[in-house]
Amino acid sequence: MTRALTAAVIGGALMVPALGAAPAAALAPRTTVVDLGGPRMYVRADAAAALAGIELFVRAGLDRETTAQNGLAALVAEAVLQTPTPDPTGTGRSVPLTDAITARGASISYAVGPQSVRFYLEGTPEAIAAAAPLAARALAAPSFDPATLTAARAALADRLTDEDSDPRLVGRAMLRSSYYRGGAALPALGSATSLAELGPADAKAFYEKWYRRGDAVVAAVGRTGDATDAASRALVAALPAGTTTAVKLATRAFGPQPKRIVTHRDVGAPYVVLGFAAPSLGDRDFAPALVMRSILGSLFDRTSPATVPPPFRSVGAIYGYDSSPAQLVLWINGSRIDPEVGLASLSAVVKAASDKPLAAAVLSRYKERARGEWTLETVSLDERAFAIGNAVTLGLDADASDAVSGAIARVSAADVQRVAKKYFKKFDVALIIPRASGS
Amino acid sequence: MSGARTSLGAAVSAALFVCAAAGGALAQGTGTAAGPADGVLPSGVTYALRPDPAQPVAAVALWYRAPSGGFDGTPFPGLSRLAAATVSASTPITGTPLAQLVDRWGGRISVSAYPDSVAVTALVPPDHVAQAVRAMTSSYFAPVITSQGLQVAQRYAAEDAIFRSLAPDAIEDALGAALFADGPLHDGTIGDAGGYGEVKLERVRAFAERAFRPANAILILTGQVDGAALAAVASRAGAVQSAAEPAVAQTPRAVSEPLRRDGYITGTGLGWIGPPIADEADATALDFIADALFAPKTGIVPKALGTRKAVVTGKFVTYRNPGVFLVTITGDDAAAVRPIVEKAVADAAKPLAAADFAAARAGFVYHILGEMATPAELADTYGWYTVEGDAKYAPAEGGTGGRYFTLASQLTPAAVARAAAKYLGGPPAVVTLVKPAPKGKPA
Repeated sequence: MTRALTAAVIGGALMVPALGAAPAAALAPRTTVVDLGGPRMYVRADAAAALAGIELFVRAGLDRETTAQNGLAALVAEAVLQTPTPDPTGTGRSVPLTDAITARGASISYAVGPQSVRFYLEGTPEAIAAAAPLAARALAAPSFDPATLTAARAALADRLTDEDSDPRLVGRAMLRSSYYRGGAALPALGSATSLAELGPADAKAFYEKWYRRGDAVVAAVGRTGDATDAASRALVAALPAGTTTAVKLATRAFGPQPKRIVTHRDVGAPYVVLGFAAPSLGDRDFAPALVMRSILGSLFDRTSPATVPPPFRSVGAIYGYDSSPAQLVLWINGSRIDPEVGLASLSAVVKAASDKPLAAAVLSRYKERARGEWTLETVSLDERAFAIGNAVTLGLDADASDAVSGAIARVSAADVQRVAKKYFKKFDVALIIPRASGS
Repeated sequence: MSGARTSLGAAVSAALFVCAAAGGALAQGTGTAAGPADGVLPSGVTYALRPDPAQPVAAVALWYRAPSGGFDGTPFPGLSRLAAATVSASTPITGTPLAQLVDRWGGRISVSAYPDSVAVTALVPPDHVAQAVRAMTSSYFAPVITSQGLQVAQRYAAEDAIFRSLAPDAIEDALGAALFADGPLHDGTIGDAGGYGEVKLERVRAFAERAFRPANAILILTGQVDGAALAAVASRAGAVQSAAEPAVAQTPRAVSEPLRRDGYITGTGLGWIGPPIADEADATALDFIADALFAPKTGIVPKALGTRKAVVTGKFVTYRNPGVFLVTITGDDAAAVRPIVEKAVADAAKPLAAADFAAARAGFVYHILGEMATPAELADTYGWYTVEGDAKYAPAEGGTGGRYFTLASQLTPAAVARAAAKYLGGPPAVVTLVKPAPKGKPA
């Protein structure tokens, strides 16, 4: 087996999954719904896939944190993965859940979102059948003892280091903090300092308060069948009974002038990141906003024989449609283009788009591009599972993402103009400056 | 000026010769069925169709057997990438450069060069599959090489070379020279970033004309696609109909003194000659060993590194003859880590306990399946194994019941240990890359 690079490059876009606008009712449903006695399982089969993926959405995301609890959602989720589990190789010792699941030929991971924490289990059906009981056991009774939390903090420290080295993610985190109010504004993984302040009692209390079966959603994709059905049931049943109250995300109004937030990092070149309010999945403005994303994201594109991976592009966008209200951030890579020039050009394009309707040829071109970009956002199994679960947790049809392509096709020049005016004229700015430059 | 005229002439003649292969040009049996199909089109194009209607996208890939350094003359490592990129960026007389077309559809396109093959893969929405097939086969079967396209490709290839020179790829590339006296692996794929600008249009054109012939092409279609897409394959009247390029012979070296080179990255590489692809059982065993030892986070070596500042990669690369097992060690603690790596490789010759082996094999199977989860990854897998001469052994073929995973299920601790002893038991070829000391300072 070789480790060919093609697919890595082709699949390497940095995208926060999102979903779509127009009602999905016009399309035949592709996702089947199974009632698990309260919680629901959403299944989309792919018989040609060798693997299956199960994503469990628990309403224990960032919005459940107070400022003093920052990092707690991630610490609890990581503790689940670090929970001691009998070693399947028969040593009599315990190993972290992740290792035990790996030894069964599967994997487990998690992501902390503004409104949910998502656990993703992937493997062949046989591996999932073997791994799911282990994951369910850890979800039902996660370990929050000091040793487990120490391991969880160490794992989080690695992830924090990775995220801190990517100026796009640093910028996005800064702009989230300026846009959202409450817990959703906090860094998704906390910080080394905040994590050090959190102990077993905090983790246990957070788990007991927010990990509830009644709010959970499961999406199963790929080679689904009896094994994934049983695994989904086991994961949901592992959560304590009950429901929680929903939190409505609140945002801050933009000021008359963009707010500028500056930080220094060990990066090679300055980055300018702009944060916009953005229509949510399900909003009629979502599709026009995707067209605007394509227009702005392709500024300064150089002719290239191959698609340029995001870190090497001049400009790019991350659409945070995993929450409602959503946020779109646009980054300018200072190693590729003078940030001042980039900023001025972006402003000029937004002004032009909001001042008058796009010419038909321009609109057609960017609708085509937006439609393709959207389609390519849900290729891997985890992306497909996310698309379904995210739609459902936002109160939409499970197939909502399928309807977005059609909605893009129906976008008019007036739609783009309206969205440009409404969402893209006001923004905040994050500046990520190389530590060495000092200015 | 003369170059521009030549380009125009080539573009015109190419446009005249290329036509979509409608109806009768199709090979018998391709049909439009939604199921998998293999075959050879009348133009000589080998194809593999592997539909997955549940996928939201489709991948269209063209693979060619072609040495990275070129067919003739002094090898220029990376020539294949440069040529494939030039075609993608050149404006044909009839329209838009291929890369721009794919970009307009919101798709993605990549150009990948390996020592003995080169691949162009496009990931597109399903309603653009036929257009992608037509555009790609038209562009490559009658390649238009313009000076503007070459300039764009030279910049792209040079940036790519710099990027790879900063990564463990550079060490793997250098290991080829330590393992082989000649041939594609000896020459490598990265090349000198500064040298791309010196490559002449004529050399690129000559390479493209020979490498990208229909008879040398392998077309892979995966994802949401069906046999109807094959009707869009272009044919080229008058194209050289001779057979596909033969594999270039390589001469393994006896292990010699460690090779030391200047580089943009500091690190050590260890390389062993492995089994040919035809020795499927041993090739699968070496894949297993590479995964068990070096899989990120879960492998024996990454776990043994602890908090040391080092990155270790390890892989078996399944070439026609022979395969190679490559290990790279980089980072501040690279020197301290090397004994850990060497011990792990030596220990691979001892059979694992049954439970450990079962866990390692489960992880191995999952990792291999995970590398083929998207249409582009699947296309890569089919393309690679077809170029290397054993398409039926491709892990993607037949799913977990196919030949590859059947062999994986038949692995035993003893068989794996035997393969490790046979291929990894001897001393490795060693390459050390060092950054040159700044002027005025001792090395």
